[in-house]
Amino acid sequence: MGQNLLDVNDSTFESEILNADKPALVDFWAPWCGPCKAIAPVFEELQGLYGDKILFARCNVDQSPNTPTKYGIRAIPTLILFKDGKVFDQLVGAVPKSQIEEFAKKAL
Amino acid sequence: MSDDLFDVAIIGCGPAGLQAAIHACGKKAKVVVFGKSERSSLYKAHVANFCCFEEVVPGRVLLESGKFQAEKLGAVFVPQDVVDTKNENEQFTLVSENNETFLAKTLVLALGVSRKKLKVKGEKEFLGRGVSYCVDCDAGFYRDAQVVIVGNESAAVTGALTLLGFASKVFLVCKELSVSDALHQKLEKSGVTVMEGTWVKEILGDAGVDKVALTNGQDLSASGIFIELGAKGAMELAANLGVAFDAETFSFIETNKKQETNIPGLYAAGDITGQPWQIAKAVGEGCVAGLEAAQRAKRLQT
Repeated sequence: MGQNLLDVNDSTFESEILNADKPALVDFWAPWCGPCKAIAPVFEELQGLYGDKILFARCNVDQSPNTPTKYGIRAIPTLILFKDGKVFDQLVGAVPKSQIEEFAKKAL
Repeated sequence: MSDDLFDVAIIGCGPAGLQAAIHACGKKAKVVVFGKSERSSLYKAHVANFCCFEEVVPGRVLLESGKFQAEKLGAVFVPQDVVDTKNENEQFTLVSENNETFLAKTLVLALGVSRKKLKVKGEKEFLGRGVSYCVDCDAGFYRDAQVVIVGNESAAVTGALTLLGFASKVFLVCKELSVSDALHQKLEKSGVTVMEGTWVKEILGDAGVDKVALTNGQDLSASGIFIELGAKGAMELAANLGVAFDAETFSFIETNKKQETNIPGLYAAGDITGQPWQIAKAVGEGCVAGLEAAQRAKRLQT
């Protein structure tokens, strides 16, 4: 907790996520999305727990429309786990915390 | 009415909302209650475990007498769903399905829990690949696309109107519409294609949704389907106010013993705060929320 989440956008996505030196978990969200707001604290909490092994980042789909299109995102929140520059797994919706944690742990 | 400032606004007219209204009125607060009695989960229930009612009582009877009681004490009832909420400068703005605006110093969320899943083939498989439960979140992903929205109530109709601003064609699939006359007229004048008297049978596609099969045998070609059953729930109305949900399931609003949420002036009571889903719990929490909200409104006055 406390540590700010990395904000990524269309122009930084490749360098910061695809070329990251560790697995990256990206939360695709938007400011008007209620369920996105609901899971945000959990995402930050998980960063506190696993932030040394996984890169936690978020991408505002309103400001960066190209990246969500590229990954076929049609609902938010969507979490995508990237490993070695490729999509490893994807999780859609405001699902329970335990499920988000299980999902994040797939990166380990 | 729209320009009046209420002390306490209550969303939901089940046992929690009614009890909140009764106790807030008892504190001389100016109270407005939103919602439709027949949508309360109590409406069709038969109550046999509520203290002091030894005989089985139809839930509908309890709801009607509770409403009558609150009205006698001065509560104003607006038999409409709330479709939007805002919280600015210690004041809550609520928009009803007739597009009327109401202002209140405090807000009690007593809107219960409802079923959001359609339970048809393809729903789970295509989640996030054409199936969505939130028009406000996901409409932007369907620019110039054909979409289906399914539901009989205000969430589906307001959602269909929102989608018109993005999609090339919007089909509203409903068994029988149950919305206010004003919202119904707005829908009729809009470009939404209403398919009434049918329902979704199956969602079909390959990589994503391609079409939606209806129970009347028709197939609608669409790349997205929005499932918006009932009225807008807590996730849609309250999350935008910044309300904290329980982190385990994101289904319930977290409150303290005063029924306060993490947002000042915002209270929650009844099923929406978690189990047990019982009248006894709902009225208990409603009582506390109504008293606390009324007291806060009075404090803000001085």
